[in-house]
Amino acid sequence: MEHGNVLIVDDEKKFADMLAKRTELRGYHSEVCYDGRTALQWIKKHVDSVTLILLDLQLPDMYGTEVLTRIKEINPAIPVIILTGHGTERDQQKCERLGAYKFMHKPLDIDKLMTILEHIRETPEC
Amino acid sequence: MLKKMLTSMKSIWPEFQKHKQDVHLKSFYTFTDYWHLWTMSIFILVVTALSPLCIVTLIHYQLIQKSVDSELNLRTERLTSNAKRSTTFFMKERLDALIFTVNEMGYEQLTENDMLAEILKNLKLGFGGFSDLSVFDEDGAQVAYAGPFNIKGKNYKCQPWFLQSLKKKYFISEVFTGYRDVPHIIIAVKSIKPDKSFFILRATLDTERLMETLTSYKTGEHTDIFLVNHKGSLQTPSTNYGNIFTQTDLKIFNYSRTTEVSMATYQEVPVILGHSFISTDMVDTPFILVVQKKKAGLMHVWLKLRRNFNWTVGISVVLIVLVITFASTFMTNRLYLIDKAKAETMLQMEQNQQLASIGQLAAGVAHEINNPLAVINQTAGYVKDLYSFKDEPRSDAEIIENIDSILEAVDRCGTITQQLLGFVRQFDIKIKKINLQKLVSDVLSFHKKEAEYRGINVTVSIPDTIPDMETDSGKLQQILVNLINNAFQAVDEGCCLDIIGSQIDTKTIEIVIQDTGCGIPEDRLAKIHEPFFSTKQDQMGTGLGLSITYGLVKKLGGNISVQSTEGVGTCFTITLPVKIKEGELV
Repeated sequence: MEHGNVLIVDDEKKFADMLAKRTELRGYHSEVCYDGRTALQWIKKHVDSVTLILLDLQLPDMYGTEVLTRIKEINPAIPVIILTGHGTERDQQKCERLGAYKFMHKPLDIDKLMTILEHIRETPEC
Repeated sequence: MLKKMLTSMKSIWPEFQKHKQDVHLKSFYTFTDYWHLWTMSIFILVVTALSPLCIVTLIHYQLIQKSVDSELNLRTERLTSNAKRSTTFFMKERLDALIFTVNEMGYEQLTENDMLAEILKNLKLGFGGFSDLSVFDEDGAQVAYAGPFNIKGKNYKCQPWFLQSLKKKYFISEVFTGYRDVPHIIIAVKSIKPDKSFFILRATLDTERLMETLTSYKTGEHTDIFLVNHKGSLQTPSTNYGNIFTQTDLKIFNYSRTTEVSMATYQEVPVILGHSFISTDMVDTPFILVVQKKKAGLMHVWLKLRRNFNWTVGISVVLIVLVITFASTFMTNRLYLIDKAKAETMLQMEQNQQLASIGQLAAGVAHEINNPLAVINQTAGYVKDLYSFKDEPRSDAEIIENIDSILEAVDRCGTITQQLLGFVRQFDIKIKKINLQKLVSDVLSFHKKEAEYRGINVTVSIPDTIPDMETDSGKLQQILVNLINNAFQAVDEGCCLDIIGSQIDTKTIEIVIQDTGCGIPEDRLAKIHEPFFSTKQDQMGTGLGLSITYGLVKKLGGNISVQSTEGVGTCFTITLPVKIKEGELV
């Protein structure tokens, strides 16, 4: 795909699928994972090509924060946006400490996501 | 000035009596019965303050009484001794005079009437009190006589005094009237003639002189002084007992040479009784000198003192009681006002806490709703995208599928808002039937996502057979919300929270909420129900949650207890009546 690879990790299948379809319509390749383990496996395979990861904090098999830590272990340069419906201030602080690129609340405005994606593409080193 | 006085009056006015009017604050008061508190405070203070005063007063009375008694005894004893000495001297002097006369004159001269008259004249002059003189031979015949009574030639052989005189050398008789019908005393001296026969010189003494002697010792109207014989019959007139020869009710005294003083009563009036047997060194007399002093008369100084003392004590007691009453009222008022302020704060805090609970619920609801909203958002956005990004019309199937997704997500939101409404509505309703299972699952529904997210294993074990409770659902709900919120805050990720409901008996239901969280240190466990006490030092606990929960459980007529081990977990046990009585609910 032209713009980049976006990984959406969320156990809310409907939400993840829809978000994937919409990002694809906007020129990105989207991959959807419904749990943490699958997501990590995918990331290991595509560590060099992934542009952005959208990560929910509530996953059926592990905590979003744990997934975030592992991602940062694989490649600390991959930008990870935490996307949650439950986020508290404490969660936000914790995630930022762990190196999350942004902390966003559901429902998600697709245009905002696009702006962020464009910003990431323009400044690839971040 | 007037304003100041009014203010100070107000502080001692029992304002606390109003506490029963503040029904809405009743359950927050520390003290329930201010009247009782007030009366107890007055009672304890009065008893403490007055006991020493009363004891000291009694001791003082007793000391004074004792010293007055001993003073009275001493005085009576002195008076009795003095009077005894005079009486004894009176008798002895006259006896000695007769002995002298007998020894000096001898039988021959004494039997001459002129001589005898001369001697009587001299005796009257020298000593006084003699009324006549007579000489008797062995057979009791009167041999010579000098005196005013014409009783010459009478035979006294059978007279008791004569028989007595025969036995002893000297004799002093009791007072008697004899032939002449005038009270008199006989002194007789027996003398042996050279022919070994004997004669008796007898003198009669009028009792006037003796009475005068005794009367001279009378001091004041409260003293009675008189002579009695050994059988208690009056020998001189007495103020108390009456005229001569009256039989007194005095106890027969045991013989003693010394003066004795004792306490007695005369016509139920306490008296001090001094007595002494009168005897000369040569002969005993039949007389006992009695001094009777009324105590009251002697004690008037002490009584006056005591009256003053009583006044002082009385006024002190009244002052002390007044001061204590005012102080107690003042203190109770202050206590009441502070308690009232505390109760008002507690009420305010409870309302605030209720708002905070609702806030927490709202947060839970927002979280719950966010997920379906996100789905709606993305799905609707996608439908829009379908038309914006691609020109060719989309197949109906996909659009309908997406719209179905939206509707399904809206349903989810609807369910949540229904739950919330049902939940919030309960704050208004007072007593209603509650299914504990449903209530617990309602409360937990707002923590469902948090539990999932934090991996907290929540188990609810309430049997289906548990009866419906009839209680204030809003309060019970708040209790559960508070305790479950607390538990959620206490547990770490991956811990357990168990909610167990059971019926103990037909009237009681027990709810146990136990977690495997951080636990509460032992030293803090006792304080956790106190307002403003928080173990969440680094967080923003107000320290009111458990205090209010405690109050709510009490309001529902139940009990709450807590066991906790630091690092192991905490277990709250609530027992509640199945049916709360309408009156019990505040």
